[in-house]
Amino acid sequence: MNDHKDRSNSKQPQSCHPQKQHVKDDKKSGSRFWKELAKGIVISNPVFILVLGLCPTLAITSSITNALGMSAGVIFVLLCSNIMISSIRKATPLMVRIPVFIVVIATFVTILSLVFEAYLPPLHKSLGIYLPLIVVNCINLGRAEAFASKNSVVLSAADALGIGLGFTIALIIISFLREILGTGSLEIFERQLFKLPGLFTHPLIFFISPPGAFLVIGTMMALFRLIGVIRGE
Amino acid sequence: MRNKILSNKAYPVVFLAVIVIVSVVLLIAVNGITSSIVESRKREEIKGILENIFPEMSQYELEDEVYIIYEDGERAGYAFIARGSGYGGDIDILVGLDNGFGIKGVSILSQTETPGVGSRITESLFTDQFKGLSASDIALKSEGGKIDAITGATISSRAVVDAIQKKMVEIIDTLEK
Repeated sequence: MNDHKDRSNSKQPQSCHPQKQHVKDDKKSGSRFWKELAKGIVISNPVFILVLGLCPTLAITSSITNALGMSAGVIFVLLCSNIMISSIRKATPLMVRIPVFIVVIATFVTILSLVFEAYLPPLHKSLGIYLPLIVVNCINLGRAEAFASKNSVVLSAADALGIGLGFTIALIIISFLREILGTGSLEIFERQLFKLPGLFTHPLIFFISPPGAFLVIGTMMALFRLIGVIRGE
Repeated sequence: MRNKILSNKAYPVVFLAVIVIVSVVLLIAVNGITSSIVESRKREEIKGILENIFPEMSQYELEDEVYIIYEDGERAGYAFIARGSGYGGDIDILVGLDNGFGIKGVSILSQTETPGVGSRITESLFTDQFKGLSASDIALKSEGGKIDAITGATISSRAVVDAIQKKMVEIIDTLEK
């Protein structure tokens, strides 16, 4: 029953992404921090490469304001839960780890939801059900299981920030394209930035609708694959 | 000592229980801070919408889901919230009635309809059509009523119309008793 000894030596079970193996003779922990942070943005971008958390991505990218709100929420939850899970990883029994992860994640999501409801009600309203659904967003559980439960607090924080930023960038790209094409204008927090003359009067409403989301995400995934192929990965 | 604790069979249960208790305590604390803000914000929001429909409103009372509106101590009308299920989820609608049970104003409180299509139920071009109508007139024109549906958003339009019509009959029934 020596779960804890086994676990630190065992290979990663069911890691759902192409994570680089731990480099043991890495002398500078600082460089490791930046590496973990940077990898989430392109190499293992959660949306375009890992294909995690697609449900909120499809649903809330119809406007850039929603995308920013959702990203802020996911970064907060990911950072807090990664730090928390990493700092209790040595005391967490293997057999109840998943319930523990879920409770930790759900706690931070509920805090986020309460804070949004109190201080940012319009955003809370437009994110709707997708805010509480961050609990079951597989980005959170995926990072908890694959990274935070095996790495130090600092590296887990870097991982959370990297993946969170990758998610943010993906959401911004998708919602930018969808909002511009689908409404012909761009609005951030109820302030209109600009209107496109022809497109504003005859917007391509298709892009605001769910099929438009699939089309934009599919195209972006193809582009990211292309970058990978060109770089020979 | 440390290994002894970790290998105890009861340890996973105790650990999970501790995590849950910590989480509950934390959430109670946060909820305590935010709930009063949320409450007062919701009251303000309802008050603002009621004032849009009844500009002269001096105060209102909530009685069994019916808001009774007073202007200078005199009853000026009623308001209620109707809920319909639209294309993308529930639509909450606040409806104001005058003393003769004609519609004084309609305002969409919340909706998750398709942006640019069904979401146009919030526009005054649609909601203003209800003004002055009585319960029997509230139906889409294609179904013998007086409301023009929004082009391409018949389901959303019908959801609003049906919700208002149904709830209005119900409310008038209870008010007349």
